[in-house]
Amino acid sequence: MTETELGSLETEMNRGFLQILVLALLEKDRYGYSMIKHIEGLGYKIEENTLYPLLRRLEKNGWIAGRWTLGEDRPRKFYGITAEGRTMKAGLLAVWKNQNRILEEIEKENEHDQ
Amino acid sequence: MTNNLDAYLEDIGHYLAVGPAREEILSEIRSHILEKAEEERARSGEAALERVIAGFGPPRRVAERYLEGREIIAPAYQRHLFRYTSILFGFHFLFTLIGVIFGRSFVLFPVLFVPRMGVIEALLYLPAAFLTDLGFVALILYFVTQSKKDIKLPWPKFGLEADDIKLPRKPGALAATLAGLTFMLALTAAAVYIFTRHGTVFIAGLASSGEIKPLFTAEAGRSLSLIVIALLAAGAVSLFLKLFTRSRWIDVGSDAVSLILFGLILRRPFDGLFAVPISGQALSGIRIGLAAALLFIVLMTAIDLIKNLVMIGRGALVRRPPERGTPA
Repeated sequence: MTETELGSLETEMNRGFLQILVLALLEKDRYGYSMIKHIEGLGYKIEENTLYPLLRRLEKNGWIAGRWTLGEDRPRKFYGITAEGRTMKAGLLAVWKNQNRILEEIEKENEHDQ
Repeated sequence: MTNNLDAYLEDIGHYLAVGPAREEILSEIRSHILEKAEEERARSGEAALERVIAGFGPPRRVAERYLEGREIIAPAYQRHLFRYTSILFGFHFLFTLIGVIFGRSFVLFPVLFVPRMGVIEALLYLPAAFLTDLGFVALILYFVTQSKKDIKLPWPKFGLEADDIKLPRKPGALAATLAGLTFMLALTAAAVYIFTRHGTVFIAGLASSGEIKPLFTAEAGRSLSLIVIALLAAGAVSLFLKLFTRSRWIDVGSDAVSLILFGLILRRPFDGLFAVPISGQALSGIRIGLAAALLFIVLMTAIDLIKNLVMIGRGALVRRPPERGTPA
């Protein structure tokens, strides 16, 4: 498998992961740039032009809520998770954990067979 | 320095068809770029703003990320666009043909209006009719998409599936094209030679003096000969281009030129066409036979033109890129 093919599949997998990641991060109010830096600090990278449209979609679905603040030298839009978003996050995490469990069990079976 | 940022945001705004949310989106991007550039400036100097802008991505690409999921026509219905347009235009074409032959007009509001017209007007009318049909079908599919309901639209099949049609790429295809081109060039050269010698390519026979007997009168013979030479030359040019590319646009161009030339032939008055004596009954038979043959060729050429346009249109539909995120 080439790096391009791996990257392409990873991009497909990221669709759901990025939504859980953002919902989880927004348990604490954050703005876009602070989220990008936080994610980078965790050893992952999300493109700016992916994050902001995603935030907009999540806000439109009512899973996060945004508000502008003018506290510092420039306006910033802070986001936080809503009750509806928390329910959605719990559901997505349950799906993700179940998928992980299935994969781990299959890997264990494979190791046992070898 | 912020002039570049203003220009960049203006470009994004140009592509951002999201209504009142546009200003808020642009403000958020501005805030992000300025904060990031300020941090970068401490490390890499004054060019930081340009670098951050470049890193954010091309304006159109950025705008498109916000528009994902807001299709004008849902992917599930995109294949219906050209299939339904083909069917609607097929009826449009048929009624146009009947209207031209019988000198009638047809109205079926709001999908069909065929005014009474001649051959040239019909040839000019049909491309506009095709675009109207395309727009009408697109409008219906737009409303279906916006309804957000799972409407299962019928998928009429007529023989060969458009998706299955592929341009020939057999090993001998190039040799066949080359042979066709050689034949067409020879035919064109022969027609040009005869025309320059006798002023016509339509010859009824030889007179006892050895001179040729032209089939048509001098003026009709000259203009019809020029049209035939142009048809042959167009065929040769089309085959020549096909040696280098299999683009369907070659067929579209060739069909369009042929339709115009056939239109010029059909436009000519039939009376006083022949230079040789022909009885009234035979003349009437020839007239009907020629008109039927020409209309059949025009019909086949028009179908081929529509088929190629549909294929080009279907090929233009592109897939959406997915969301991106990677391990740092």
